[in-house]
Amino acid sequence: MNNQSPATGTPLELRGVTKLFGDFRAVDDVSFSLTAGCIHGFLGPNGAGKTTTIRMILEIIKPTNGSITVLGESSALKVRQRIGYLPEEKGLYKKMKCWAVIAYFATLKGLGRGAAKRCAFELLERYGLKDFATKPTDALSKGMGQKVQMLASIAHDPEFVILDEPFSGLDPVNQQVMEDIIRDMAKRGRTVLFSTHIMQHAERLCDRILLLAKGRKIFDGPVAEAKRIIPRRVRIQTGDDITPLRELAEVVSLRPLPRATDELGSGAAANWELELRESGDPQAILQACFARGIRLLSFNQSDPTLHEVFVRLVGPDAKEASFR
Amino acid sequence: MRFAFLVAWREYEENARTKGFWLGILLVPVIIFFSVQVPIWLETKGTPTRQYVLVDQSGTLATVVESRLEMSHQRQVLSALNEYARRQADGHGAAPPLLEEFINQGGQSNFLAQLQPHLKPGAPPFKSPRRAFQRAPEPSDLSKLSDLAALAQGLKPYLRGEKQIEVDGQSVSLAAAILIPRDIEQQVVRPKGKSPGGTGIEYWSGNLADTKLRDEVEQTVNTEIRRREYLLRGMDAAAIREVEQTYAPFASLNPKKQPGQEAVNTTDIIKQWAPSAFVYLLWVAVFAIVQMLLNNIIEEKSNRIIEVLLSSVTPGELMTGKLFGIAAVGLTMVGSWILALVGILFWKASGVAGTSAVTGQMLTVLYSSSLIPMFVVYFLLGYVMYAACILALGSVCNTLKEAQSYMGVITMVMMVPLMTMTFIPKDPNGVLARVLSWIPLYTPFIMMNRAMADPPLIDLVGTLVLLVVSAVGALWMAGKVFRIGILRTGQPPKLLEMLRWLKR
Repeated sequence: MNNQSPATGTPLELRGVTKLFGDFRAVDDVSFSLTAGCIHGFLGPNGAGKTTTIRMILEIIKPTNGSITVLGESSALKVRQRIGYLPEEKGLYKKMKCWAVIAYFATLKGLGRGAAKRCAFELLERYGLKDFATKPTDALSKGMGQKVQMLASIAHDPEFVILDEPFSGLDPVNQQVMEDIIRDMAKRGRTVLFSTHIMQHAERLCDRILLLAKGRKIFDGPVAEAKRIIPRRVRIQTGDDITPLRELAEVVSLRPLPRATDELGSGAAANWELELRESGDPQAILQACFARGIRLLSFNQSDPTLHEVFVRLVGPDAKEASFR
Repeated sequence: MRFAFLVAWREYEENARTKGFWLGILLVPVIIFFSVQVPIWLETKGTPTRQYVLVDQSGTLATVVESRLEMSHQRQVLSALNEYARRQADGHGAAPPLLEEFINQGGQSNFLAQLQPHLKPGAPPFKSPRRAFQRAPEPSDLSKLSDLAALAQGLKPYLRGEKQIEVDGQSVSLAAAILIPRDIEQQVVRPKGKSPGGTGIEYWSGNLADTKLRDEVEQTVNTEIRRREYLLRGMDAAAIREVEQTYAPFASLNPKKQPGQEAVNTTDIIKQWAPSAFVYLLWVAVFAIVQMLLNNIIEEKSNRIIEVLLSSVTPGELMTGKLFGIAAVGLTMVGSWILALVGILFWKASGVAGTSAVTGQMLTVLYSSSLIPMFVVYFLLGYVMYAACILALGSVCNTLKEAQSYMGVITMVMMVPLMTMTFIPKDPNGVLARVLSWIPLYTPFIMMNRAMADPPLIDLVGTLVLLVVSAVGALWMAGKVFRIGILRTGQPPKLLEMLRWLKR
């Protein structure tokens, strides 16, 4: 792969994009833009409109309303050679050899036949599939096939890569390989937009996330900002009365937590969760405990996870997704 | 266009790697070769001389039958000698002798002696054709039987292959037995006469399909019986024979041919029927290739490859690429079939007994007529018409099973030209042919079938224009359906829904 200069400017911008299928509003007035060289997570429960949005970005289908600008052009087809795409539904030509599939898709993205072939072999070697290069794709396991398809979508070293559910169906080892590929691209200044249901991946990989539910955008920003939507929490374990803590300005609410099985023998000690204001400092809670003579058996402060943010923002729709 | 070419190239390359492609290419020439060669092999090598037993209790017919069968054999020998002379002798310009002349002058040995000075150096010796039938003596255990029914009973195990007869010290199978009763003269059936009864001559054979010997014997016996009847009634048999050989000359003439050359010959008959062969070839080619196209689209759709493709190429480019790629596959196959056919005709024209004249005329028809260019034009346009339907169909179906039910309808529509294939040449400019020619789905097949019958210019040009317009229209509609259908999953859409897509 060549090391072309990283993308500059805005790789993608959607303005008031809506897509109707009959009366059904699959995507509803969505606007957002991506930052060049960043990894963007595209999150949302099933049926949120992620795949439809991706298909519109790639001009596979046309939006009912609104406009989309990809790499400075009003049509993705004009810049298709600079875009890479891994669809949600994965599939390969069964009888074609692995290298030939990668090379074919690379030629469709503008690479010469010779360069595409070289690139295919290079990628297969780099990602541990050298031995399968000349095997037909139906000889591959599902995970390996998915890797080959991923390589096919990035063989032409695109500036902007869209990955629809790249981790689905992969075992933990291959998930790690996929994460490495994505990080590798970002390191070289490529912009990545990937949709996923698995929040841990988004949390580990993303600089920014974009959250869609019922076709509408409900969050767009850095991961840290997303986490700030949920108040910070402090968990304490004590056998003393904690009523005085309710009066603290930092505390929004205080609720008892059920005891864990291994704590059942620890006398009268109880677990509590304190939800803090946005600016609330957990250290102030600790100081207040000392000042009011509350003896602590344990004290934990934790940031909310992206999973919690997802559940909070998406609401009941998140249930299905969170169990995945 | 570059991307459409890349798609087309992949289609071609991948298909060219399949066993089916090579089988398709090789199978047709092999079938043509064997269908031409096997009957010749069977005639010359495969079919052994068939032994028959002839018991003539009347004592008056056996010689006639034997001499007639000998005459048939001499006819074969003469034909083989003529072909041998044509291929192996230089400057042997003498006209081939008539059969009787040939036999009277000493047959094969005399012919070869005369040919000897003209033979090319190194010419192989002449191989006389195998005798088709040979009379075998009655099995020794049955020779004393005088009752025909008992004899027939005794011959049954031989005719069933359970026993073998001895001929020249070798055991061979008995193919047939001809039993002529003593009173055969009394059993002759005459018009207005009373039926004398009796079974007449009995022809026993386990092989019901090969009636050559039976026909020869029956014909010979009846000719002899009639000859005797003439004598019985005091008629001059020789005069009657002469009368029987009189005839009025009759010539088929074609008003469309040049003055002086209007006589209809074999070439004209080949010209009339050759288009039917091309219609069949066209039908097989179009049908096989659109089926290939359907499988291809369904594979990509069910494998979910289509979405990646559509992020790289437009639906139009994808469709064009597929159309041309698969057309190239088809043309390669059909082209190789035509080449093989021409090759086999050339080979045959260079001289194999009995086939060279006809094959030479076939080649002349192929060269001098517009059959091949017309075939290419009609193949391409016909393919585009049907491929458009298949592209639309394939794009809305998710599995091959789903598509097969719709394919049934298309197959039924496509059967019409096959069913009319034999009627059209008999009345190539008749109402049925003309009406069907103007239906674009049938135009390629019917016009191909009328190719040698000089159809009116309005039919030729008009139907071609209509076909081009329809093919383009079908492609446009297929493009609309394809664009939407190809990403669709679930149940195939209703016809009305597809019609709505056309308006988008």
